[in-house]
Amino acid sequence: MVLLAGGCGTGGSRDSDGEARVRLTYWSSQNPQEREIARILVDAWNTDHPGIQVTVQPLPAGQSSEEVLLAAVAAGTTPDICSNIWPGIVADISRAQGLLALDEFPDFDSLYQSRIPVGLQDRFRSRDGHTYQLPWKANPIMMQYNVQMFRDAGFEVPPSTYSEFLRAARSITADLDGDGSIDRWVGYRDIQPIWHQRYFDYYAFYAGASGGRSLFVADTLAIDPTVSTQVFSFFRDLYEGGHFPRTKFQGSPFISAAIATEFVGPWNIAWLEKNAPAGLEYAFAPLPVPDGYEGPVYTYGDYKNIAVFSSTEHPAEAWRFASYLVSKEADLLLMEKATQMPIRRDLLVDSTFAGFFAGRPEMRAFAGQVEATVGIEEVGSFAEMLDAIAQQFEASAVYGVRSPADATRRAIDRMRVIQEWNR
Amino acid sequence: MHKTKHSTRLPGERSGLLMAAPYLIHLSIFFGYPLLFAFVLVFHRWDIVTPMEFIGLRNFARLFQDDLFFRALANTGVFLVIHIPLQIIVALFFAELLNRKLRGRSFFRTVYFLPVVVSGVVVAILFQRLFAFDTGYFNGLITSMGGTRVPWLVSPKWAMPSIALMATWKNVGFYVILFLVGLQNIPASMYEVATIEGASTWQRWWRVTLPLLNPMLVTVVVLSTIGGFSLFVEPYLITGGGPMNSTLSSVLYIYNQAFSFNHMGYAAALGLFFALVILMVVLLQRRLVEEDIY
Amino acid sequence: MRKALIYLALSAGAVVFAYPFVWMVLATFKPEAEIGNLSLLPSVWTLESYRLVFETIPIVRAFLNSLVVAAVVIASVLVFGSATAYSLAKLRWKGRDTVFNLMLFTMMVPFMVMLIPLYTMIVEFGWTDSLIGLIVPFMMNATAVLILRQSFVTLPTDILDAARIDGCGEWRILFTIVWPLSIPALVTAGIIVFIGNWNEVLWPLMVIRNEDWMTMPQMVALFTVGGGAQARLGPQLAAAVLLALPIAAVYLVFQRHFIASLASTGVKG
Repeated sequence: MVLLAGGCGTGGSRDSDGEARVRLTYWSSQNPQEREIARILVDAWNTDHPGIQVTVQPLPAGQSSEEVLLAAVAAGTTPDICSNIWPGIVADISRAQGLLALDEFPDFDSLYQSRIPVGLQDRFRSRDGHTYQLPWKANPIMMQYNVQMFRDAGFEVPPSTYSEFLRAARSITADLDGDGSIDRWVGYRDIQPIWHQRYFDYYAFYAGASGGRSLFVADTLAIDPTVSTQVFSFFRDLYEGGHFPRTKFQGSPFISAAIATEFVGPWNIAWLEKNAPAGLEYAFAPLPVPDGYEGPVYTYGDYKNIAVFSSTEHPAEAWRFASYLVSKEADLLLMEKATQMPIRRDLLVDSTFAGFFAGRPEMRAFAGQVEATVGIEEVGSFAEMLDAIAQQFEASAVYGVRSPADATRRAIDRMRVIQEWNR
Repeated sequence: MHKTKHSTRLPGERSGLLMAAPYLIHLSIFFGYPLLFAFVLVFHRWDIVTPMEFIGLRNFARLFQDDLFFRALANTGVFLVIHIPLQIIVALFFAELLNRKLRGRSFFRTVYFLPVVVSGVVVAILFQRLFAFDTGYFNGLITSMGGTRVPWLVSPKWAMPSIALMATWKNVGFYVILFLVGLQNIPASMYEVATIEGASTWQRWWRVTLPLLNPMLVTVVVLSTIGGFSLFVEPYLITGGGPMNSTLSSVLYIYNQAFSFNHMGYAAALGLFFALVILMVVLLQRRLVEEDIY
Repeated sequence: MRKALIYLALSAGAVVFAYPFVWMVLATFKPEAEIGNLSLLPSVWTLESYRLVFETIPIVRAFLNSLVVAAVVIASVLVFGSATAYSLAKLRWKGRDTVFNLMLFTMMVPFMVMLIPLYTMIVEFGWTDSLIGLIVPFMMNATAVLILRQSFVTLPTDILDAARIDGCGEWRILFTIVWPLSIPALVTAGIIVFIGNWNEVLWPLMVIRNEDWMTMPQMVALFTVGGGAQARLGPQLAAAVLLALPIAAVYLVFQRHFIASLASTGVKG
């Protein structure tokens, strides 16, 4: 029985019979699917481990989970474990000594080596040599498209380059009811100048166009101006031609067939399966890349990882629970309930998951994409720097008031200033 | 009201201080300390999770180079320039209509005042719907009458005026009541004199009503300026400060610096500077409005 | 004729101020797809939007949080505020005028100066994610003290002296004699504090991150921006209606007091 009252209490207590009992608080993600997964996993754990009782809570609400986590670190109200850690924030929290170095647990190495795909292994290690995050899941951003609309536009195969996409855009974007204003667009992005919106356009497309690079090498700013300008230009063409609307939709324009594509991660499948009308045929393809690009198409990986906070009084137990969260059963549940991709190398070969992938080509596509993903470098003030990109994206791509090359230059200048300032 | 002249007999040397003590203690903890601490914080860099670092005047050096902050100040200015005159005209209009014996007067007053008491969050959610470009109510009305859609919140030109319009809608009832009080305080004899002198309705309004309403006008201008400077919820909920930073209000910018980017020292410096701007504007307004009409 | 025009203009005003609320309330009973329509009435009445709100966020708990915060703050402002006001109005002591001037000064300082330092202080006290952080900083209110003082000053000193001769202490005089004579001022102060406190969003957004302790406007605000509504309009509007309901109800019952109270904050300025 869990008697824990209130929200953020952690720590052990003694029952009346004197037996030591450990209590842990675990923050899961907010969305309904992951809340349900967390509840199922925690119930099972608590039954099996009467001595280590876990209380699950969704991550407190805020405009972004980064804001919430940092506020919790500041206020000392962190939980023992959180499974929604965005790698971009690890630098900021570990600088404040807010996270436990997981590599100090004896079985960490074997778990890490056996779980993480070789190509991604270095990515989650911090520069001080420690690892503060247990890689959990990836949501590679791909192009979700309305199959029928593209078929009508003459595309049996979805567009794979910028110019093909623009060609499709010209025949899909239309004024269907003839009232003089466009009511069907090829795609849509949330144009609010909020930094985390830029993962799903600029950042993901930069990864694709650069062949798998991010904006930094170690902590040094290393934006390739040519690539950045290409990305800005692509979106500018789309907005200028009216193929992307400059509005904020409420409700999903994809299920109401007002747009033909969305750049999303696999999580959207669970949502579509519940909300899309019967007969809406959708599929997924890699993001379009610049004409003439060759090689694998990279994208943003949107990783979320598990971390143990240094505020915990029971590191060993917290670590045990963390490793339980990446067990095969837990990973399968994550795919089944939330259609998200666990970061594990045996995903497509292990028999546990075979049943899930059978007959789900779209999930297979996402699983295949995981290896070709770019993450977030361990750089302080990452959010603020992405905000500098967001400012330029809006000015150059959405509203077209400055040239893509100028936007790139200004973004780089501003990011330098921010780095200088926060050093 | 009668004045008492026994002030010498007022007791309370001991109990006076005692009864004011809770207020004084609270004041020193929750006003005095933060106010002093503000002056410490502005000289430091602090992300609130690692120790504070003294950086001298660098927060202010940064402030004066921060285009975005001055943009936010200018935006607040745009908001006020639209909001205040609009508010005064609309409020005066309805106050003038209500300043007479009418059936249903209190009904109208009640309705006009309703948006004032309701939370800004409600109004923001509601207007987000009404202003929506493609499926919004206003554009629905406009297109059904054969007009073309207005890009209310999505065009950098229209967004701030739209928000000012919304704020006016929300607050105007309050100012109707204030003007109504002001109008009712004008003695009827003043009008009689003007009428005897042969003044027309308009002349009476310009020569009697407006000058006598001046103190209330000052109040309204000052109150709506202070209200306008604290603009936050509407852009926070509706536009996030966009498009093109056109609705980025000063408070929203300070909030973002503090909570999206964790620059507590810098945010405190912005807050201090911003507070000085507010004080200066309000003092200037008092002067101008008072001189202008007398 | 003239009268008809006046009524016409007033009624147009009433439509402008009331119609959006009517539309909003009716829209919450529409199926999601109909909300973009111009029609006022739903073709089918449904409670789906409300079901989704109650299912996704603990809005009842948020309502209770708001209620507790407002009640404690109002009670404290009235009790301690009136003690201060009484001592400033009717007692004589060294430093009284200084305190009064200090109070006027606090009203001149824009809250923006204090915002960040006050927040960091709350963090240091460990009062984030608790109702204490929402209540304690606002247990005193200079505007309320000023309103109460203005009312207390007008009370005849003779009655107070008579009570003192009967051996009443000052606290007792305050509650048994001054309060009953100053109901309108107490109501005014209470309403002003209530409206400000009930509708405050910025401060709770800073101090509270845990759903358990959120106030109602904060929770509704985050429900719309934070994606809790999963981009559906009906639930957003339904949450807004639920947020408006309590204060609108109180307002409609006490509307005379509300209007007079808020007007008095402007009139004294």
